[in-house]
Amino acid sequence: MARKTKNSNARRLHRLLGVGAAIFVIFMVLSGLAINHSNSLGLDQHQVSQTFLLDWYGLEQPENIRDIRLGKDWISFAGSHLYFNGQHVAMVSDGVGAIAGENMLVAAGKDELLLLDHDGKLIERAAWGPQGAGPIESIGQLSDGTVAVKAMDRIWLADQELLSWHLTKDELAIPNWSITTKAPGSLHKTITQQYRGDGLNLERVLLDFHSGRVFGPVGVFLYDLLALAVGLMAISGLILWARGRRNGQRNGNGKR
Amino acid sequence: MTRIKLSIILILMVLLPAPAYSASVYETQAEFLSRAFGNSIPDARVIWLSGERKKAVRQLLDHDYPALRVRYWCQLDRSAWVLEEIGKELPITVGVIVERDYIKSLRVLTYRENRGGEVATPAFTDQFNDAGLGDNHALDTRIDGISGATLSVKALTRLASMSLLLHADNACNNGT
Repeated sequence: MARKTKNSNARRLHRLLGVGAAIFVIFMVLSGLAINHSNSLGLDQHQVSQTFLLDWYGLEQPENIRDIRLGKDWISFAGSHLYFNGQHVAMVSDGVGAIAGENMLVAAGKDELLLLDHDGKLIERAAWGPQGAGPIESIGQLSDGTVAVKAMDRIWLADQELLSWHLTKDELAIPNWSITTKAPGSLHKTITQQYRGDGLNLERVLLDFHSGRVFGPVGVFLYDLLALAVGLMAISGLILWARGRRNGQRNGNGKR
Repeated sequence: MTRIKLSIILILMVLLPAPAYSASVYETQAEFLSRAFGNSIPDARVIWLSGERKKAVRQLLDHDYPALRVRYWCQLDRSAWVLEEIGKELPITVGVIVERDYIKSLRVLTYRENRGGEVATPAFTDQFNDAGLGDNHALDTRIDGISGATLSVKALTRLASMSLLLHADNACNNGT
């Protein structure tokens, strides 16, 4: 009688753990398979845009978006990102300004220049080179199209290809400096969406769900408990199987 | 009261920090060029990635290089290249010095990824020294990987091949 109660308790525990762990196991299997093939499934390239996930990860809006109008095009700086007509182009350190040259657009960061073609494709990322020039403060253009950069209150002029720079002492060389203008709200909306989703791809979300980290340290602890439940279920299953086998043998002997 | 405290602690534990990216600058471009050419740094030149050259680079990287032209510096038969390639998610900036079709030095200038920064250690990058181009634009030298930094290792290997390919494809290769 006591053995029967023991067995039914073990079965009840096994059933309880089994039901609890089944969903967890199915999810772990599916997410594990997806993570294993994330590159071929393109999960690492798929940026997350769902607002609730971006909110959950604490991905905030850019503190401010600064726009420069270049003819019909817009260059925008948001955080450490550069956008051309609302499309992400590249990362840039501390955006300063932008100008439109004859052959290319030039966006300046504090210590680098990004040269773009008129379709917004990156031609080159050039480090701000002159030794001891100091960080770029502003970028502008002379009336003849020469690109000018102001650094430590000195004005540097570029050659046509923007490969070399020389200091100008010509006081008549007064560039038209890049100025910021407020872009339409729809452009800011597009930029904000991309900015928040940057760096958060589906692979990362899946990895965090798979490990429980998406729920913080508590989630990891809960996942540990669930993993232990799965382990206990396997053990209780083995015990039940062994007992059943033993009972079967005993019953078989009794019959004989 | 205790329950409230416990709830606050639990809420704080659940809150997730936003992913933060920090770039590690190991060497500036100016320092890299000084190392390559000493005090007499030559003027910069550019090589445009178009036509057959673009195709060759695409074949090597498995994608288009993220810029239309590449700046380089050249003196006699030595050239210096600053190239970028994405490891996992963010670009790694690498400086490569090539001399007579072999890599003289490869160093990570800026590393932006959260993980895999071990590729910036000289113990790893020194493996590229004296590497040349073998068959199918692959390096003729075996580069040992680093577990946990596989994609960064691959990115550096691709950039090493690209610098050798571009060196072989410009006037610097003739000592001019």
